[in-house]
Amino acid sequence: MTVSTGAACAALLRRDLLLAWRRRGDIAMPVLYAVIVATLFPFALGPEEALLQRIAGGVILVTVLLAMLLALDAMFRGDIEDGSLEQLLLAPQPLALMLAIRIFAHWITTALPLIIISPLLAGMLHLPTPVMGVLVVALLLATPLLSLIGAILVALTAGTRRSGMLLALMLLPLCVPVVIFAAGAVAAAQQGLPWVAPIAWLGAALVLALVLAPLACAAALRIALDA
Amino acid sequence: MANWIPTWLHRLGSPPTFYRFAGAVRPWALALALITGAIAAYGGLVLAPADYQQGDAYRIIFIHVPSAWMSLFIYFAMGVAAFIALVWRIKLAEVVAMESAPIGAAFTFITLVTGSLWGKPMWGTWWTWDARLTSELVLLFLYLGVIGLFHAFEDRRQGARAAAFLALIGVVNVPIVHFSVNWWNTLHQGSTVRLLGPSHIDARMLWPLLTMMLATKCYYVASLFGRVRADLVAMESGKDWVKALAVEETA
Repeated sequence: MTVSTGAACAALLRRDLLLAWRRRGDIAMPVLYAVIVATLFPFALGPEEALLQRIAGGVILVTVLLAMLLALDAMFRGDIEDGSLEQLLLAPQPLALMLAIRIFAHWITTALPLIIISPLLAGMLHLPTPVMGVLVVALLLATPLLSLIGAILVALTAGTRRSGMLLALMLLPLCVPVVIFAAGAVAAAQQGLPWVAPIAWLGAALVLALVLAPLACAAALRIALDA
Repeated sequence: MANWIPTWLHRLGSPPTFYRFAGAVRPWALALALITGAIAAYGGLVLAPADYQQGDAYRIIFIHVPSAWMSLFIYFAMGVAAFIALVWRIKLAEVVAMESAPIGAAFTFITLVTGSLWGKPMWGTWWTWDARLTSELVLLFLYLGVIGLFHAFEDRRQGARAAAFLALIGVVNVPIVHFSVNWWNTLHQGSTVRLLGPSHIDARMLWPLLTMMLATKCYYVASLFGRVRADLVAMESGKDWVKALAVEETA
């Protein structure tokens, strides 16, 4: 029995979201982590409002990046353990498309909650209210980029046992441009400068990554599981 | 008639032939590296005139700049080898890519250390968040990621292929990082040596620099060939040619 590509995508998305919903506690973990990390900064630097206001954008971006990094590690783990990843590799549908759906589902379950609470974090760090919109837009463009780049690296480490720290070592240099442009947009908005240019760069990078990253992810997965 | 070049390259791809070839080339490359390195060091440290602004402190350029060139050159060489390894699955290319990474990381580290030593008297600080310094640091992290991923796998060849893929992702990323970091902040002086058009450097300073570049290239070849030889013997330890080699050595 063959299933049309669209139906397969819908089934995979439904399965991933359902699995995530059944383990709702796991969705809350990155959010709690981000809240706690953002809370530590005022303790470490002092509650001075001007200082917190100046670093708020950068702190929130790095916090979100770290929270996503922790959640990335689990992207394919369950599927490797129960063998469903092998089924995905053998499926007649294009692997890159299936992986794009998986990455999308992972983004909905980990990054979207972080974006939703980001105004709260921004409020805790006294980021001016007009800048919050720019922060949310920057996160909306930066987090899918991180998910896509991260997915390639998670796929590469799929065949190894110890991958947590290694993943950080590989991912962080690759996200330097993402952090620079996202934080640049927030900083520009905060100083009342035009902030569209860095956002446009992020958007361009996202379009590029949307096309290329699933293909790279599929190639990486084939290398890592080719035992 | 002109067939011998591809035939020779094909033969060179086989581990026993490359082992012998590398063994023959290595002493010459090492000798050339030491001789040209000594000449360049003498030319740079003794013969070249002092800089009109920076005095004698600029002389670290003869180590710093060739190392910086090598850090990028070796990354490029690693990327080419990684591409060959992934597309044609040539075992030798995997070994070359993986053994290039530690050498490149060492050159990157030397660049960062000499740069900070140079920065202290010139800029008054060991480290500054400048575009070129930061992209060199990111390059070091990329090298370390490749080395780390290679060692994370139990199967050597699988590890080499995964790390080769990461190296290729890095090749795409290095220009993006460089551009974005430039956009972010820059303090470093611009290039003084250009391939096209006149260089902004005195000829008496230029020749030791270029000679040192030749020395570092030769050192890379010598070091790489030595590492690849050791790796090939370890990887092919069950094969007949290695057994014959061991018998030959002990006899």
